[in-house]
This record gives sequence, structure tokens and C-alpha cells, in this order.
Amino acid sequence: MTLIELNMLMPEIILLSMASLILIIDAFLPDDLRDLTYQLSQGTLIGVGLVIFSTYPQQTELALHGMFVTDPMGATLKLFIVGIVFFTFLYSRSYLKERNFFKGEYFTLGLFATLGMLIMVSAHNMLVIYLGLELLSLSLYAMVAMHRDSQSATEAAMKYFVLGAIASGILLYGMSMLYGMTGTLDLNELSQSLSTLDEYHTALVFGLVFIVVGLAFKLGAVPFHMWVPDVYQGSPTSVTLFISSAPKLAAFAMVMRLLVDGMGHLHSDWQDMLILLSILSMAIGNIVAISQTNIKRMLAYSTISHVGFLLLGILTADKAGYAASMFYVVSYALMTLGGFGMILLLSRAGFEAENISDYKGLNERNSWFAFIMLILMLSMMGVPPMLGFWAKFSVVMQLINSGMLWLAIVAVLFAVIGAFYYLRIIWMMYFEKPEETAPIEDTMDMRVAVSANGLLVLGLGLMPHTLMTICLSAFSLV
Amino acid sequence: MPTLNEFLMLGAILFCLSIAGIFLNRKNLIILLMCIELMLLAVNMNFIAFSYFSGDIAGQVFVFFILTVAAAEAAIGLAILVVLFRNRATINVDDLDSMKG
Amino acid sequence: MIKFTFYFFSIILIFAAMRLITVRNPVHAALFLVLSFFSSASIWLLLHAEFLAIALILVYVGAVMVLFLFVVMMLDINVTMIRDGFARYMPVATLVGVVILVEMGLVIFSHLPEVQPVVMAADVSNTKMLGQVLYTIYVYPFEIAAVILLVAMVAAIALTHIPRTRMKYQTPSHQVNVRRQDRVRLVKMPTEPKD
Repeated sequence: MTLIELNMLMPEIILLSMASLILIIDAFLPDDLRDLTYQLSQGTLIGVGLVIFSTYPQQTELALHGMFVTDPMGATLKLFIVGIVFFTFLYSRSYLKERNFFKGEYFTLGLFATLGMLIMVSAHNMLVIYLGLELLSLSLYAMVAMHRDSQSATEAAMKYFVLGAIASGILLYGMSMLYGMTGTLDLNELSQSLSTLDEYHTALVFGLVFIVVGLAFKLGAVPFHMWVPDVYQGSPTSVTLFISSAPKLAAFAMVMRLLVDGMGHLHSDWQDMLILLSILSMAIGNIVAISQTNIKRMLAYSTISHVGFLLLGILTADKAGYAASMFYVVSYALMTLGGFGMILLLSRAGFEAENISDYKGLNERNSWFAFIMLILMLSMMGVPPMLGFWAKFSVVMQLINSGMLWLAIVAVLFAVIGAFYYLRIIWMMYFEKPEETAPIEDTMDMRVAVSANGLLVLGLGLMPHTLMTICLSAFSLV
Repeated sequence: MPTLNEFLMLGAILFCLSIAGIFLNRKNLIILLMCIELMLLAVNMNFIAFSYFSGDIAGQVFVFFILTVAAAEAAIGLAILVVLFRNRATINVDDLDSMKG
Repeated sequence: MIKFTFYFFSIILIFAAMRLITVRNPVHAALFLVLSFFSSASIWLLLHAEFLAIALILVYVGAVMVLFLFVVMMLDINVTMIRDGFARYMPVATLVGVVILVEMGLVIFSHLPEVQPVVMAADVSNTKMLGQVLYTIYVYPFEIAAVILLVAMVAAIALTHIPRTRMKYQTPSHQVNVRRQDRVRLVKMPTEPKD
């Protein structure tokens, strides 16, 4: 291990050291100084973000016997992950405080989960991918269950744990078949040996099926989505926010590393599987979301449909398609961050703004928040010129470019169906009388953060080429 | 010496038994957790067989890490189970239906 | 002879796994899981994975299964009622299991070549070989595994630990140091008239 290699690992090393330090400090802090844990965590995230930014790589480099990779795609995703976790902590603080639930473990486990995501993003070996995934998942299971007295949270944690563990098992079985057929765990060597041999094709595809099923479980694609709505609804909203945003970026990176970097030569095989997953996800996600009354559950189904769109770009199996998918996943994460941030903002101790009817007449109660929510909903819906529109537009364009016109038409059709349930929220906010009349309790940092989040979505929507350039350069297309 | 196929078949049988067990044990979360352990055992069997037949140590290293992670996973799973039992006084999967839609 | 040993332990392993998923009592299930770990360890010995075979018994049977049994005892589950509706899931489970198994069998038997085992260097023991790569090539995964164990520890404590304040306990030093005036107070009261 040389110094240069250590330098490449610097963000992970800093994050791990600080997370361990915060863990120790937190154990000795009296309850009234608990804010220090929060401030240290936020400081760590800023520091890690700066380090990632200052060591932004220009080309792909391998380290630690090919297990660790830095490339522009990875660095960009890491920056967004760290930024989104920063906002997640910021949104969660007052929510946790109001419920007497402001514990250090939320932040330390959150930091460890972030470390898991960073490891997944720059993993270049099946073993490291698995370990990063487990580090992320184990932290998330614990975070969901952390609200020990809540029945629905512990129930959600159990479901999440059981299905997550099964998914890991299936993914591992697929990895074992691939290892057996190619004799290597390294993604580069895997890709090389796949390009030379095609004799044992069926057994390889067999392993591939298991890997795709495992990935679909983790992403929450239909028909492996049954855990998503329950976990989103049952978890404390701050944890739902955490689960629904940053880990999706890491999951995207995992799909890219395994399917594209490792098994790019089998793309004709995984393409068909992804098409099926994607159509089912868009269909079930958009249609079932219409009948929901709980907004967290509705956003869960909305996530499922977004996963369907996300897969569309990957399944084109070319670099422009991957860039479109990356654009999609980043904009999805920003929008969902804002959406759950708004739920956290409107909730207060003893009242969770969970039902869609809680949003009735939001315009009368506070027109600025209603405006931010309007931006977010229009963006998720995919109305031009919002960010969500450009995300959907770019994946659909890539589909047409690679000759899958029929799939593009199906995608547009489901996007139109999906517009309905977002419209319903907008209708309630602007054209119905408020049921809930209590004033909105908010703190200054929360208000600024949610506004910044909403304006960022609006700004990126008006100037989509900034984000698109970043995504294209991640795949060296600019 | 048995062939590679025989070892893989043993792994496949264990894997299927664990999947069947997950379907079957809807009434008892503890046995469900044990089925997950069985699933990992099936995966380990595959890795070790491949490692032996290709003369490559990497498979055994992978098993070493799976064993480590599985222990951590069991600890967290049982902790969640204990918390769940304190709240609900049940470990029956069918009782976990407070959320629908 | 090796073949006989393999089949002997395989049959025990499959029997134990079958009993594990069909047995009523979680304690029995745990014991059958222990049996399947033992037989797997024996099969791994045939595959020259001595270190992992020993680790499986030490870590799994010694620690993880004891943890399982501990939780079973702690939770005090009503065993008689947890098996209603078992027959309901039986057909589905059997169907799913058999279908997956047949598919796997077809793939494994029809498309795998006959390979002869490659003999690894005989002068180095299995444990030494693992150790040599574990701290050099695989040092990065090794560190991640350490973090995973740390997370598991933090999570398990944070989830199940009941803070001190909820417990009732005695401090002997306080009991000894109690003075008379802390506990007994003589109150002067006017005598009440008798009626």
C-alpha cells in the first residue's frame, strides 16, 4: 500500500476516523450537549466533500490490488451522496429533537452508512461490493428500528431486514456462480474472461439472473418491491428520508459496476431482464400510487416508478444512456430529498403530516412552502421545464436513439398516468380548505434548507445543461 | 473424489430448502432467520467447491468474509427481533400487518 | 471412500436442513441447524478448507447459534400456537422449492464441464495460505469487515440496551450511610379529644 494509494482513499479514511471519534465523544456527552454530535457530523461531511472535490480524478485509477477504483463517475456520485446526507441530517435535527429522539446513534450510524455508500461507489471487486452493501444495509436496518417504542417502525425494520438479507443471499449465490465460471472476483479480470469465453454461457446467465434479482431487490424494482412501501411508511420520517435519497445513488453505482464494468459483455442478456423489471416498475409504481392516502406510501410507489425510469437509461447499454440514467438518479435524489424534507417541515411533535389530506389548503397556511412543494411535485411529475422533465426526457431520448421506440412510448404513457397523483396534491394545496389550522412550527435552518432545496431543483430545471455536462463528463463524453 | 457437479448440487439443494423454509415459516421469525443462515451456508458451499476445483484461494477468502458478515447480520436481526417482541409480543409474520395499501 | 464420506455427510446435511424448516419448536430448529453446520464442516474438510471448517464450528455453533438459543429462551414464545396454518403454506413452499431446484439442477448438470481439482501447494497449510493473503491482498475488505462488526455492536447495544434510569437497584453505600433523621421524624400533635 503506497502513499498515493492512501491518498486516493483519503475521503473514506477521514470519514471512518471521524465517525469512530464521534461515536466515542457521543458516549460521554451529557444530553444537553448532544448538539455537538450533530455539528461534528456535519463538519465531517463538509470536510469529506471538500477532500473529494480537491482530489477529483481525471481518469480511472485502480488501487489496493484492483479493489478500489477512482473515476469521474465515482467522484461525482460521492460528492452528491455526501451533500445529500448533509441535507438529510439538517432536515432531521428538529424532527428528532421534537420527539425526544435526538440520539447520537442516528448520526453515527448515518455516517457509517455513508461510508458504506462511498465504499460501494468505488468498489472494483465483488467482495468489496458485497461488504460495502452490507455496511450500508446493516446501518440502515438499525436506523429504522432505532425508534424502539414505535410498533410500525420495528415492524418495518423486521421486514426490511428479512427481505434485505434474502436479497444479499441471492446476490451472493449469483456472485458464487460467476466466480466459479470465471475464477476471479475482480471486475476487470471478470470482464476480460467473459470477453474470451462463451462456452459455458448458460451457467453464466444463470449466475447473472441471481445477480439481477438481488440488485432488483435492493433497488426496489417490481416484482421485488414489496418491502419498499412498508419500510417507507413505517420508518420515522427522518429515516425514510435517509433511505430514499442517498442510497439510491450508491445502488446506481453498484448496478453500473457489476453489470457494466463487470458483465458488459453479457449486456444482451441483462438488457431483456432490465426491460421487464423497468416496465413492471413503471406500471405498478404509477398505478398503485394513485390509490394511496398516506403521502409516505405514495412517495414509496413513486420511487418504484422512478426506479423503472432509471433502469431505462442503463438498459440502452451505451455511455450516453448511462449518463442519462445518472442524470435521472441525481435529480430523483434531489427531488425526493425536498419532498420528504417538506413532510418533516410540516410535522411537529405529536402530529405527522403523513396523510395527503394534511396538505389541503397549504397555500392559505403558508404560500411560500406551498410554492416549494409545487415546484417539487411538478418536477417529479415531469412537467417542462422542471428538472424531472429533463431527466425523463434524456432517458427517453436515449431509448429512441438506441432504437427502442416502443419502450419509449410505454415510458411516456406511464409518465402521463403518474402525473395524476402529483396533480391531486397540487389541487389539494391550492384549491381546498385547510383541515389542519395549527401554525407551522419551523426553525430558521429548516426553512432556509427546504427553500434552497426547492430553488436548486427549480434552478437546475431552468439550466439543465449544467448537471447534464457533469453527468456526460463522468462518462468522458464531453 | 466427488465431482464439482455433486458439490454444486448439494449447494443448490440447500439453497432451495432455505427458500422453501422462508415461505413455510410464516409463523415464526426465529426459524425464518435460521433459514437465512442456511441460505448463506449454501452460498459458502458453492464458493468452497469452486475454490477447491480451481485451485484459487479467493473463494475461501470470500467465505471467510461471508461468515463474518453473517455473524454481524444475525446480531442485528436478533436485536430487531427482541425490540419487536417487546412491542408486539409476537414473532408471527402474519401479525405484522399494521401497514396496508 | 471419499465419495462415501461425501454422501454420508450430504445426506445428514439435507436431512437436518429439511427438519430445520419443518420442525415446530425453535429450539429443535436451532439444534438441527447446528447439525447441518457440523456436517457442512465435515464436507469442507473434504475440500481441503480446514480453517473455514473449524471457523464454522467455532463461530457458528459456538457463538451465533448460542445467541439464537439465548434469544429463544429470552422471548418465551408460545410454541403450541405458532404452527397453525402450516399446511396452508406447504404446497406453495414445496412447489417453489422444487421448481427452483429442478432449474438449478438442469443448469448445473447440463452446462458444467468435468473439471479435475487443481491441487494447491501441499507444503503450506490452509490456515497459513489464508493468513498470507488476508493481511496483504485483502487488507481493504478486512478493514471493511472490521467496520461492519463495529456497526453491528453499536446497533445491537443501541437497540436492546435499557438505560439505567428505568432499572430499580440498590446502592449499599447509601443504605449504610443513612442517618436516623433522614428516615424517622417525630411529630408533635395535639391530643385529640375522646368522644
